[in-house]
Amino acid sequence: MATDLQGERSQTSEASDLPALGVDIRRAALGLCGLAGFIGLWWVASLFQPEFVLPSPVTVATTFVAEAASGEMLTALWQSSLHWIPGTIIGTLLGIIAGIALGWSQLLDDITSPVVRTLRPVPPLALIGFAIAWFGINNAGAAFIIAIGAFWINFYASYGGVEGVSDDLLDVARSLGVKGDLELVRSVVIPAASPEIMTGIRTGIGRCWMLVVASEIFGVPGIGRRILRASNNLQVDVVISYILVLSLMFLLVDSAFRAAQRRVLVWR
Amino acid sequence: MAIDHSGGSTVRIENVSKQYDSKQGTVQALGGIEFSVERGEFVCIVGPSGCGKTTLFRILAGLEPPTDGEVLLNGSTVTEPNADMGIVFQEYHLFPWQTVQENVAFGLEKADTPADEKRQRVQHLVDLVGLEGFEDSYPKALSGGMKQRVALARALAIDPSLLLMDEPFGAVDAQTREMLQDELIEIWQETGKTVLFVTHDVEEAVKLADRVVVMGKNPGSIREIVEIDVDRPRSRSDSEFGSYYERVRSLI
Ligand SMILES: Nc1ncnc2c1ncn2[C@@H]1O[C@H](COP(=O)(O)OP(=O)(O)OP(=O)(O)O)[C@@H](O)[C@H]1O
Ligand SMILES: [Mg+2]
Repeated sequence: MATDLQGERSQTSEASDLPALGVDIRRAALGLCGLAGFIGLWWVASLFQPEFVLPSPVTVATTFVAEAASGEMLTALWQSSLHWIPGTIIGTLLGIIAGIALGWSQLLDDITSPVVRTLRPVPPLALIGFAIAWFGINNAGAAFIIAIGAFWINFYASYGGVEGVSDDLLDVARSLGVKGDLELVRSVVIPAASPEIMTGIRTGIGRCWMLVVASEIFGVPGIGRRILRASNNLQVDVVISYILVLSLMFLLVDSAFRAAQRRVLVWR
Repeated sequence: MAIDHSGGSTVRIENVSKQYDSKQGTVQALGGIEFSVERGEFVCIVGPSGCGKTTLFRILAGLEPPTDGEVLLNGSTVTEPNADMGIVFQEYHLFPWQTVQENVAFGLEKADTPADEKRQRVQHLVDLVGLEGFEDSYPKALSGGMKQRVALARALAIDPSLLLMDEPFGAVDAQTREMLQDELIEIWQETGKTVLFVTHDVEEAVKLADRVVVMGKNPGSIREIVEIDVDRPRSRSDSEFGSYYERVRSLI
């Protein structure tokens, strides 16, 4: 059947899919100005303070380069990755699975609700005792702390995403022959909740970099340990250098994830 | 390959009632609905807002159980959605994460049709509803009329013998609606499916239906069933059309 689509062409705005280059350059330039201003202020402030209170940007840059050149920085980064990566992955996966299961099944939700509400407000740091007792002062213990942080963020993001899945889409799927919880979750619930799930993963990744410091408090080596040790020695330039490493790592992983997110969620 | 010309199903609605209990009290949405639809018939259900059309639609579709009575599709009781029925909602409800093609193919995923045949079938349906060239578009990039075409193709993909539609053309402009109506009639004539079509638009009902079931409110019940004995294609300017229109109108 020939159909005339005249008069109801889609309103695809090809232009809005590709960000205008001019806008990007403008934003980058403004960002650079802000950064330069910040460093300038920092430098001025450092003129009036002793080095151990606020080192100048130049001192920090020198220390950063020295730490990087000596290989200490890379070692610390590697050591932190050994618990950051498994902790983030395990916490994220468990959080997503639990969030989907409890968001989908009213029964599971009712059964676990009191337990979830009791455990939810416990800060990961408060669990350090358990980390040591169960896993020891090692990467597994630190990964446990990080995983707890990732778990809750992903749990609530997925839970909310699943709760928000429209009943109508589920009805449509049923009418098209999808039967059973597992099939419905796989073919409708997960894709429909994927924007929320992805946002959860992304937030969790950031939170886990923050937890790297906390997870190394009890003696596991890594960037956090290095920061804590330098703090005790009043080496503020070293502290700032390693904070920068954390920021840069976060920026790197976050940008990579954002790019992946854009690809997965093209349909939005 | 084409859609099977397997013909339609018979539907019997036997003394169907529906009561909603809520904190505010009970609502008797439907009270004792009874009628049958023949194989290949095109039946429209019209009535004022709140008379229970959507409720009846959902019961017919097996999405909700009736409080009383039952729906028989080809002689067996409907308790859940099944592959003999294709369902089209007013708000399209396309899967936003899937392209036009993927949406249309959704119901075929589980069927063990060979991939090649599946692809052909999807293409045939996309062509049938006039969306060639938009196979890889996502729903967000489609107009309302196009979305409804996808929803129709998706429902047709499982080759149901009964097509159930709840105000499918309610959300598009008048011109598009007319186009979609003509297309639906064509598909219906081509495939011989049974169609049950809910609308609140009397003109639409008279234009499309073999019979119009007119419903009234409080509780939702059948006022009258009007047989529309006008040759197709029907024209609104026809005096016959006009008198049927007036007749159905006066019943609401
Ligand atoms: N889930 C529900 N819970 C409680 N009451 C409901 C529910 N669904 C429908 N009703 C009530 O049942 C009655 C019929 O509703 P229904 O949606 O079937 O009407 P309708 O004929 O489709 O109306 P419209 O033309 O506006 O779509 C209304 O009074 C409505 O408030
Ligand atoms: Mg309705």
